[in-house]
Amino acid sequence: MKSQKKVRVLIAKPGLDGHERGARVLSYGLRDEGFEVIYAGLRQTPEQIAAAAIQEDVDVVGLSILSGAHLAMTSRVIENLTGLGGKDILLLVGGVIPEEDMPTLKKMGVAGVFTSGATIKEISEFIRSRLS
Amino acid sequence: MDKKFNEISKRRKRWEETTVKDAVSRFSYMQESPAQFYAPDSLQNFDFLNKVGFPGEYPYTAGPYPFYPNAALREYTGQSETNRFKRGSSGQTRAAEYSGYGAPESTRDYYKSMIAIGSIGGPNLASDLPTQLGYDSDNPAISGEVGKVGVSIDTLRDFEVIYEPFQGKLNLDKIATAWTINAPANVFIAMYIALAKKRGISLDKLRFTPQNDILKEYVARGTYIFPPEKALRLFRDSLVFLARNIPRANIVSGGGYHMREAGASREQDLAYSMVNIATYCQIGIDAGLSIDEFAPQFTINAFGGDMEFLKEIAFHRASRRMYATLMKERFGAKKSKSMIIRQQRGAHMGRCNTTVQRPLNNLSRSIIGGIASGLSGGSPSAFPPYDEPLGLGWSLEARQLAEDAQRILTVEARILEVTDPFAGSYYMESLTNEIEDNAWKEFDKVMSMGGVAAAIESGYIKREIGKSAYQRQKMIEEGEQYVVGVNCFTGEHELDVRIKSLVQNPYDPSEREKAEELQKKNLAEVKKRRHGKGVKKSLEELRKTAKDVGANTIPSLVACAEEYVTLQEMCGVFRDVFGEYEDRASL
Repeated sequence: MKSQKKVRVLIAKPGLDGHERGARVLSYGLRDEGFEVIYAGLRQTPEQIAAAAIQEDVDVVGLSILSGAHLAMTSRVIENLTGLGGKDILLLVGGVIPEEDMPTLKKMGVAGVFTSGATIKEISEFIRSRLS
Repeated sequence: MDKKFNEISKRRKRWEETTVKDAVSRFSYMQESPAQFYAPDSLQNFDFLNKVGFPGEYPYTAGPYPFYPNAALREYTGQSETNRFKRGSSGQTRAAEYSGYGAPESTRDYYKSMIAIGSIGGPNLASDLPTQLGYDSDNPAISGEVGKVGVSIDTLRDFEVIYEPFQGKLNLDKIATAWTINAPANVFIAMYIALAKKRGISLDKLRFTPQNDILKEYVARGTYIFPPEKALRLFRDSLVFLARNIPRANIVSGGGYHMREAGASREQDLAYSMVNIATYCQIGIDAGLSIDEFAPQFTINAFGGDMEFLKEIAFHRASRRMYATLMKERFGAKKSKSMIIRQQRGAHMGRCNTTVQRPLNNLSRSIIGGIASGLSGGSPSAFPPYDEPLGLGWSLEARQLAEDAQRILTVEARILEVTDPFAGSYYMESLTNEIEDNAWKEFDKVMSMGGVAAAIESGYIKREIGKSAYQRQKMIEEGEQYVVGVNCFTGEHELDVRIKSLVQNPYDPSEREKAEELQKKNLAEVKKRRHGKGVKKSLEELRKTAKDVGANTIPSLVACAEEYVTLQEMCGVFRDVFGEYEDRASL
């Protein structure tokens, strides 16, 4: 039964951006919602994030980016995940993402984009619906 | 005295049991009374002169000055001064709006265009993240971030380009400039000194403000490089150098703004910023200076903001009293300028409270913050412009609305007419006491942990702030706290009002995409032209001073800057000697 195994989520902040509020709040929130949360902390390279995702055998990777570097960072994370055989991992992006960039992110393979005002419930339901 | 309060307490009891009870019974859904009313019995043993005093006098609760400078309402039109006012014209906000775009050339052109329309402020520079973390634009590890959240600075050449429009009446001895720079603050100071030397301007004429508030970077905002103790040694160097040589420069622009944005509560904001400031003061004292020799050069950029109007007013009153008490009682300050909070921004709504949903509502919110500021000793600025959370930069339309809101509050609503109109209010004084008391408790707690460096390294402060942020999010999700257009009033008949941006921004965002390539070319050019011998020698000298705890690094950094040594090369020496900080603050 799938319910026996907790869904594993890696929350990471790629690049140099130090705004951590969203990443920490979501980590606490998903943990309380019953997920296994690994918080990678600040200043992770896309290579480190992809390697951690594989090593920790996660089902979901959530990237939090508020620096405007979301397109470059996300595409490098996807590239690395694909290279390591983690293409099926559900990828979410959050932060300050202008509306016009959302279609580009989705085309890259991002499953969901969550910006300011998104709730923990909304995100956890999204993850559950995509993984069931 | 007690008898008077007894009488009022008795009346309060009667009020609760009759008038309030009757009113409550008329509302069937009401379980308990929502009535809150403050009277003299709520504020017993209140000593007005000790707790409030007069504006511009200790403990400065009512205000740092007898009246607010902006009340004089000035406007600069070209070089003439009329009796109207303009953003940035007050004594405290001489620098222009926070700005910095792509490569130095783009930022220079932006300032040129601002000067052309009458701007008289010096640059208030936003740097990109690689710069803030001591990396050069040609470092492959940070590719994709050059010129993104601000301008890229690699060498003195970039300062030369950015400050190129500031000549003559706007030369470095006439303007005040500010840099949002923390971990490499001393490098910026050195570059500016090198630039001034090239222009033949003596150091005592310079006015600049480096943010230089490194301690809050470890718990919010995140642009630290070195371990706290080593970063504080660099802080000591700038403190001592600026106090002795550049009296018109600010040493630090501190505050709790970034921590509140990261989720800190009002009391945490106040407690941790005061802990940080007390730590900086102790460093100056330990370096052999007296508090009055450097504290007048301390400034606050902002404390955090919130939508809870009355509480924010009390918070600012409490912050002034706490700061003054700290400076006078703990450090023995005698000068008034050591005891007052000089700050760029007063009360405000808090950027974290802007909403993406129905964004024009942010204008209403920012005006509430502006009124709170005006009524608590600050400028009534409606900050931030309403399109803040949209991630596109502020449109000129949004800036115009924010600017006009401030003008309306000042000249039509006249909210600056009376200083601290809440002084003596039973409610406001109670709340001010409560916020200050709670902040002191948390202040003492951090100090008892072995000081701020220990509380940072153990992850305590970051975890506490994170927990507060999560608490707030839970309250919003569980409907205990409401945000209009987000978790209430979201029905299908509500309108999402938008305005179409028609005026083009002075900085074309497509330039940003080209910034990295352009800046890498600029840096390659500098590296080709500079003298390898001078670079090597100045870096060796820097390494020697970095290793010698008693030495001051600033003169060695100036020598490096003059040789066009790069930011990353200078920070690289510090990285070698001091090591890098690794954040271990778990969830």
